[in-house]
Amino acid sequence: MDSSKKVFVLGIDGAPQTLLSEYAAEGIMPNLKKILSGGYSLHQMDASIPDVSSTSWTSFMTGVNPGEHGIYGFMELLPNTYRMAFPNYASIKAPALWDIIGGTSGAKSSTLADGFKGRVPNSLRSIVINMPETFPAPALNGVLTAGFVCPDLKKGTYPDSAYQYLRSINYIMDIEASNASDKPDAFFDEALLALNKRAEAFTHFMDKERWDLFIGVVTETDRLHHFFFDAAREKTHKYHERFVFFYSKMDDMIGRFFERFMDATGGRGLFMTMSDHGFAPIRKEVYLNRLFVEKGLLTLDAAREYFEQIGQGSKAFVMDPGRIYINLEGRYPGGAVAASEKNAVVNEIISLLLDLKDSEGRAVIKRVFEAAELYSGTESGRSPDLVAIGNDGFDIKGNIKKPEVFGTSHFRGMHTRHDAHCVLPSGVALPERLHIENLAGIILERFI
Amino acid sequence: MDHLTALENKSIFIIREAYYRFRNIAMLWSVGKDSTTLLWLVRKAFFGEVPFPVIHIDTTYKFPEMYRFRDEYAKKWGLNLIVGRNEGQVEAGMGPGKGTKLDCCNELKTNALKQIIEKNGFKALLLGIRRDEHGIRAKERVFSPRDENFKWDYEDQPAELWDQYKSTAAEDNHFRVHPILHMTELDIWKYIRRENIPLTELYLSKNGKRYRSIGCAPCCSPIDSNASNVDEIIAELESSHTSERAGRAQDKEDAYTMQKLRSLGYM
Repeated sequence: MDSSKKVFVLGIDGAPQTLLSEYAAEGIMPNLKKILSGGYSLHQMDASIPDVSSTSWTSFMTGVNPGEHGIYGFMELLPNTYRMAFPNYASIKAPALWDIIGGTSGAKSSTLADGFKGRVPNSLRSIVINMPETFPAPALNGVLTAGFVCPDLKKGTYPDSAYQYLRSINYIMDIEASNASDKPDAFFDEALLALNKRAEAFTHFMDKERWDLFIGVVTETDRLHHFFFDAAREKTHKYHERFVFFYSKMDDMIGRFFERFMDATGGRGLFMTMSDHGFAPIRKEVYLNRLFVEKGLLTLDAAREYFEQIGQGSKAFVMDPGRIYINLEGRYPGGAVAASEKNAVVNEIISLLLDLKDSEGRAVIKRVFEAAELYSGTESGRSPDLVAIGNDGFDIKGNIKKPEVFGTSHFRGMHTRHDAHCVLPSGVALPERLHIENLAGIILERFI
Repeated sequence: MDHLTALENKSIFIIREAYYRFRNIAMLWSVGKDSTTLLWLVRKAFFGEVPFPVIHIDTTYKFPEMYRFRDEYAKKWGLNLIVGRNEGQVEAGMGPGKGTKLDCCNELKTNALKQIIEKNGFKALLLGIRRDEHGIRAKERVFSPRDENFKWDYEDQPAELWDQYKSTAAEDNHFRVHPILHMTELDIWKYIRRENIPLTELYLSKNGKRYRSIGCAPCCSPIDSNASNVDEIIAELESSHTSERAGRAQDKEDAYTMQKLRSLGYM
């Protein structure tokens, strides 16, 4: 077996390039620093749009845009209703990396898979641990245990022997985020414990299984950032030390798996770390549905819940994080915008959003994308019509019940699209600006 | 002693024990097959009488067949029937179309029951749950203490080895008593056949479909089945491997997903 044809990916959910670069320079992450001085580069990378884990990880695993893979967020509305549904792995329309190299694509196809057809083997084994949006676990050629959201470890793990093993080590699927505000110490403790369990599981499967592609994901970073990102750089923050301590443990893990993998492949395997989006401190949360209500674009029926509240005559609504849907006739039961009026509504919303300022006069929205700029493929008909990206500090929310346009909460970090990261060997040929959809192709090249 | 008689004896012992220990008790009757079997056992335990109130939690979303059956047999068996409704929430329009299913169950079932317990000061409630219904119920005890907030601390409960039941509790607690915990779905049907216990027709096949488990109409879906009498249901169960509550799994996953997403600020 040619050991150069082995790939190890360490996913670090929500780890920003800027923060890793600072932590490496400051000595908080000495292992990362050592790797970077030994022929690897830390790149800033664009996440998918919207920059939410379900969409971005799906873009990573399939190497195609949401218009092909079909995942636009953690929630969707069921066709021709305002009822919410939660897309999961079964909703993904494009084959994942492990399908393409493992011969399990079935009827799924994608531009990426077509491009590598016949060029990569179809009998390679993959180990995939804790990758978001992989529940329920598919029967792949290898081992998979699903990441967020995984409501059931048994159904989220393939094969059953892997489930039995994970149960035996009291594996932690996800930490209890609700502890973050009232029991912060317990929250940090559990995050460290979960990190240890991930490392234990990674080591077990690395050693006990035969594999060609290994993808292990740590999601605790994202949780820490949501509640404590303000502690990342503020040295006087009560939880700065605990935050940094977690990153030093993360760094241990990076160093440990780098060495282990290099030893196993004689230094010839492809090692990579990456994240699905970046993070920035929150200045304000921005509830666009409220803005739409105030501007007469949306009416709500308070007797109902969630998106079923959308009332008569509504022209548009927003779902997390900045997905804007025009309430089109024929697309929704209460559709109130005729196809001929769509452009006018779209233009009205774009100028409304670009003009939006907070109380201190700061521009809230960085850019509003139209669907055609972002999405192409068979699933693009289901896409949001517009996606609003906030300036750093303005977290765009789809909550439908807020009484004001701007607010704050116990959340301290927001996702950013432009500050995801990727660590790769310096020799790998890359586009000028790296995008998360590029990584699958870089991985597949290795198997040719 | 045959299997069904042994099960019956055990249930009757538990029912009498609970009544003897607590006196101020009641039973929950959902009008489904399990609690109707429990009601039958209570009548046997006290020679045709039911010496305590029978509570039906009415979410207002039950099947019409269930209301008909409840009223008919409450009269026929001379029950002291308490119908519990969370009126405030019913009037406010709580229902499966509003909020999550978890919110709906919580308001219309759990809180309705809380109100009744508070009002009547019941010390124990008899419930027709069975150990084989769901994973979490395998941890249940026959005498299961609850705190004032209805919380069940499954990591801290009496062991019940050799059928030794613990039936004393702190002042604020009440007990859930589970006289048919040891029966399986198949045991219930065989006992229903032996005793000829009346049930609503929802369990019997109509146009190729029947309900295997009944509750609120909007949240129950029938299964494909041609079993149109109890014998055929028993034959079907003996050859089936799907779980009784299979149709409810999706709801559970969705409720978990929502809670998780909410905790990270989505929705």
